[in-house]
Order: sequence, then C-alpha cells, then structure tokens
Amino acid sequence: MGLEIIVMIKQVPDSSEVVIDPVTFTLNRGAARNVINPADENAIEQALLIKDKNPGTNITVITMGPPFAETALLDCMSRGVDRAILVTDRAFAGADTYPTGLTLAATITKIGKFDIIYAGEESTDSSTGHVGPGVAEFLGIEQASYTSNSWAEDGYVFAERQLEDGVETIKMEPPCLITVLTNANMPREATLRKKIDAMKKGIETWTLANIDLQPDWVGLKGSPTVVKSMRTINEKKREGKKFNVDEMDKFVDELVEKGILTFGVD
Amino acid sequence: MAGLINAEKPSNIDDYKNVMVFLEARDGKIKKPGLEMISVGASMAHKVNEMLIGITFGESVGSMVKEAGEYGCDRVIGYESPDLKDFRTLPYATLLSDLILELKPNILLIPATRNGRDLASRIAVRSRTGVTADCTELDIDPNGRILQARRPTYGESTLAEILCKSHRPQMATARPGIFPVPERKKDAKYESEARKAKIKKEFMKKEIVDFKPKTTVDLTSAKYIVSGGLGLGKASGFKLIQELADEIGAYVGASRPTVDLGWIGKDHQVGQTGQSVRPKVYIACGISGKAQHLMGMKLSENIISINTDPDAEINSISDYIINADLYEVLPKLVEAIRKKKSEFEMQSSNKKAEEKPVKENIEEKKEKKPPQ
Ligand SMILES: Cc1cc2nc3c(=O)[nH]c(=O)nc-3n(C[C@H](O)[C@H](O)[C@H](O)COP(=O)(O)OP(=O)(O)OC[C@H]3O[C@@H](n4cnc5c(N)ncnc54)[C@H](O)[C@@H]3O)c2cc1C
Ligand SMILES: Nc1ncnc2c1ncn2[C@@H]1O[C@H](COP(=O)(O)O)[C@@H](O)[C@H]1O
Repeated sequence: MGLEIIVMIKQVPDSSEVVIDPVTFTLNRGAARNVINPADENAIEQALLIKDKNPGTNITVITMGPPFAETALLDCMSRGVDRAILVTDRAFAGADTYPTGLTLAATITKIGKFDIIYAGEESTDSSTGHVGPGVAEFLGIEQASYTSNSWAEDGYVFAERQLEDGVETIKMEPPCLITVLTNANMPREATLRKKIDAMKKGIETWTLANIDLQPDWVGLKGSPTVVKSMRTINEKKREGKKFNVDEMDKFVDELVEKGILTFGVD
Repeated sequence: MAGLINAEKPSNIDDYKNVMVFLEARDGKIKKPGLEMISVGASMAHKVNEMLIGITFGESVGSMVKEAGEYGCDRVIGYESPDLKDFRTLPYATLLSDLILELKPNILLIPATRNGRDLASRIAVRSRTGVTADCTELDIDPNGRILQARRPTYGESTLAEILCKSHRPQMATARPGIFPVPERKKDAKYESEARKAKIKKEFMKKEIVDFKPKTTVDLTSAKYIVSGGLGLGKASGFKLIQELADEIGAYVGASRPTVDLGWIGKDHQVGQTGQSVRPKVYIACGISGKAQHLMGMKLSENIISINTDPDAEINSISDYIINADLYEVLPKLVEAIRKKKSEFEMQSSNKKAEEKPVKENIEEKKEKKPPQ
C-alpha cells in the first residue's frame, strides 16, 4: 500500500568547501557552494527506500528558504521525489527554530494528508536538531528522532533510534515524524531521465499568503531568541614542539614533567 | 499539543522564578549529563537568590530524588509511574510542560543528549518560547535575570551568545561533558516530593519494542584519546593505536575515511559528523587534519601529531609534532612509556616501603606523649 511522505530539507553552504582560517579559526562561507544539508540527503534516501518497498507511495519535499533553494528541490526530484514545494517570502528571513517549525507545519497542514514526515537530525549551519521535533509538536504527532533506519509494516511505522547508551526500536502509528541521522544510508544519484522529468515538471512556489500565518508570527519577528554577540573562540596557543623518532624517552619525560601524562594518578 | 500558534510573550514575566533542570535517568539512576546540569544550574540560581529545582521521572523515584538533593538541588520533584520507566517523548513532554505552567521557572535546562534534545524541542514549542541548543557556557545576568546561553557555531569556530528576553521559560540544552559533576553531600538539605503520575493512554501509543544496550565508546567524556587516520594504510593498523591507548588508559578515535572503509566502528569517529571531543590529550596518528576533523577535536587541551608530512594541517594546531612514520614511532613511544611506568612503579613501591616506618614512628611518638 502506498504512503504519503513529506520530506523537509534545507539548503546549506557546503561544509567541505567552507574554508576555516587556521589562525583565526573564522569561517569563510562566501566561497562555498550551496548543497542539500547532508542529513537531509539521508532523509530523502530513507523516503525513497520506503517508496521502493511500498509501490504507490508519494513523496513531497518541502523547504523554507530563498528562491535559489530551488536547485536543491530539483536535485531531490531528479532522484525520484514526486513533488517539490519551495516556501519563500521576505517575511521568513531571520527565523530561529520556532517560526521555522511553525512555517513548515503550516505548509504541511496545507498539503493535507500524510503518513510520515522525514527531517534530517540537524542542519550543518544551525545544528540545533530542533526543527523536526518542533514540527511534530505543532502538528501534535508522534516522533522518533536520531534514527538510522525506518520502515512501514502492517500499518505501523518502525524506527531504530541510536542513543548514547543503546539502540531503541520504536513502533508508532502514522502519522508521525522521523529524523534521520547523517550517514544512515547511501543516498542514490540522480538519473538523467528523472532529471529531465524534474525540469519538465518543475517545482511549486508558495509564499506566506499560501499558508495562513500572520506576518509577525514568522521570520525574525516571530523568533523568541536573538543572537546578542559572536566571538571567536580563543584558541590555545600551540607551540608545535618537535621531537624526532629517536627521542621518545625524552618526549615521554617531558609529557610526564608537564603533567600531560600521569599514568592514572589524576 | 501546541497547534499552529506563535511564540507568545507572557505578560507576567516577573512571575517566572527559579532555575529548573531536567535530570535524565535510566534504570533508576540519574545519568551523568543530568548531574552536570546541577552544577551550572545551582550557580545561576544562587547568583540571584533563587532555587534550583530538579525534575526526574521514573518507575519509582525515591533513590533518584535523594541523589538529586545530595548533588545540590534545593528542591526535587520526582514523577513516578510504570509508564515513565523509559524515555518517551509525549508523556515526558506533557508532564514537564504542565509543571512549567505550575511552577513558572525562569530558566529550564536540559542535557543536550539525544533524548534531551528530543524533549527540549517539543517543550519549547509547547511553552511558546525559545531554546538555545548545545550550550557550552551558561550564565545569568542578574539584571533582569536573563540567561546568557553561549554555543559554538560555524564548526566550533565562534561562540554565539543567544538571549530569549521576552519569553519564558528561557530554555537551553547543555552539551554533555562540559559542566562538572558536583560533589555529592550526604548531609545536603533539600525539599523533595514524589508525585504519582497518571499518563493518558493516547500518549503511550509509541511503543519501545526493543532496546539493545551498547557499551559505546563515549568519546565525549574521554580524558585521553589516541586516533588513527588514513595514514595507518590498513585496518590492522588500529592494533598499534589500541596498544598505545591501552598503555595510557585512552579511548580509540578515528578519522571519517577509516570508518567509511570499515576499519573501525562509526562510534569511534571524531569530527563534524562524528563526536566532538575535548580530552586532556589527543594523539593524532596519520591524520591530515582537514577542517571537518579539526572541528571535532581542536578544543583538546594537548594535541600530539604523528605524521610523515611536515606540512599536515593538523600540525598547525599541535602542541607536539613527531614528523615520522607512525609504524616506527608508535612502537618506540609505547616502549618509552612502559619504561617510564616501570620507573614510576619502582619509585612508588620504594616510597611505600619508606613511608611505613615513618608513620609508625609518628604513632609511637603520639602514644608516648604524656597526658596533660
Ligand atoms: C560533509 C563532510 C563531513 C565530514 N566529516 C568528517 C568527520 O566527522 N571526521 C573526519 O575525520 N572527517 C570528516 N570528513 C572528511 C574530511 O574532509 C577528511 O577527508 C578526513 O578527515 C581525512 O582523513 P585522514 O586525515 O584520515 O586522511 P588523509 O587526509 O588522507 O590524511 C592521511 C594523513 O596520514 C599521513 N600519513 C600517511 N602515511 C603515514 C605514516 N606511515 N605515518 C604517519 N603519517 C602518515 C599523511 O601525511 C596524511 O596527513 C568529512 C567530509 C565531509 C565532506
Ligand atoms: N528552512 C528549512 N526548510 C525545511 N526544512 C528545514 C529547514 N530548517 C531545518 N529543516 C529541517 O530540520 C532539520 C533539523 O534542522 P536544525 O533544527 O536547523 O538543525 C533539517 O535537517 C531539515 O530536515
């Protein structure tokens, strides 16, 4: 039986291209390409795996972002996603996790029926992991966060959560929301055929007017938190003292003298 | 449930008082990240003459309530029910947000563990407030009792201070392994209360059908880490890494490609998509130090790099550099450490032999002291 799946994705600067200054440790995002947030690629793949097993499944991908986030959505469609919606509006700018979750939940409410919502565990640029469970709360549905695998069976949804102290297998009734771990699976490549289909089909663009929220509920105005200041984390000055391979005794002496190695006394 | 509602500002902000901490537990014991909330929570609460209120959930909470009080909570509330044995989002979120309505805490802290974050996201939305994730510094500004929540961003390069001035409670999750576990005091004074919880059936629909405990390598609280990278050349290279680790009581870390190649388990991975560590000593063997790896370890107190490339990026943040083949260095290093350790053992056994008679002498003298 087919399921209705919604995947929430975010476009982020490619962290492998983001250059960190080795002296100041500040980040130069300017040059970086925009890509799909890595965990969201795994969320897309998880949705596609469910579709592979459950013919008739429909996948809709949504993102709240600037107009150029369209590329990320087209990329998803080229991998086999059926429908893509870009929710974009000047009013959304500067949103923290609360209005982001609200905007996405309102979008999903407008889309209507769904069985599973997928999100990434967290985004590389804001790395809170709050947006997924926040959406579940706005919609009043169950959730399973930090999952490495999930599947649909006998009308239930199962998910494996990776916790610090163990692996938990969850059984839920749809509708529910699942967040997917980075590296949970191997995201498939786009195919040329699907790419052409995606270009033909195109994506839908929605604005604030489509989702029935008030302008001061979203974006910066709707954000409870403000960033007061940023400071570079003061790095310890590192000497880079050299020892050669024949000086290991001397090296260990120094480590012990400086209290760096204590052999379990501390 | 929240419904599609905006982050509403409460009109009675001044009614919100005290610091509340959620003490995550498993099997009737508060876990370390929960205890860490007590030290930072207490120091903020006491700075503005308020109370630290600890909250804990479980099948039975008697011993946890005691634990929380003795570790430094001024007031402890424990909710008990067979339905609270394991962490489940909806029952936990519902009880905790009802308690927020009842007690109106100014600040709510939750450990930034996976279950902690799962919970915090929902509480924030339900309480229509903001939450700052994964903080490494927390303080309170006595003026207006504003929480100053600081968290690393942009790959640990900057620290952002985030405020939530006009919504309550001010929420933060705190990164495990950063704040100290307070000292436990058997004679601590605290108020405590165990409440029987009644959980609605509809909140218990999510079933935990299986739990497999794992003895994971929790690198985040490791004091010593020896890490291997692609420079090992082959999976068996990790034997050498393990040998050094055993010698100094360290955990084994790894760069991502070694994990991707299946040389070692994913839970050893350090970096942006692995664990963020800050041990006392980090020994990087055959690791180039690409940005994504550095993000996860550059806050280590002491960094030692063993690498054949004198220009490896990791060297620029290393305290010690050994510019040579790790297959030559590691056996020699292990050997030197063994030698040093045996010197230590000899010294301390000599010391013990010397100490004894001295002690006896002192006691003898005491005894011989004439009564006054
Ligand atoms: C989105 C994203 C996320 C990522 N997340 C992570 C992450 O979490 N963690 C992570 O580690 N990486 C991560 N990476 C990968 C990262 O960019 C690097 O590719 C990786 O860290 C390099 O691993 P390495 O240092 O082991 O290998 P290499 O870069 O190949 O370095 C091997 C080093 O070994 C040295 N060497 C070779 N032979 C010897 C020898 N015999 N003795 C001593 N030294 C020797 C070489 O000089 C070299 O410096 C991520 C990448 C991306 C794109
Ligand atoms: N603007 C957005 N549009 C769509 N999905 C988002 C957006 N921001 C965050 N998400 C989803 O929420 C997850 C967690 O993001 P974060 O809370 O920012 O760490 C991401 O992996 C996405 O799946």
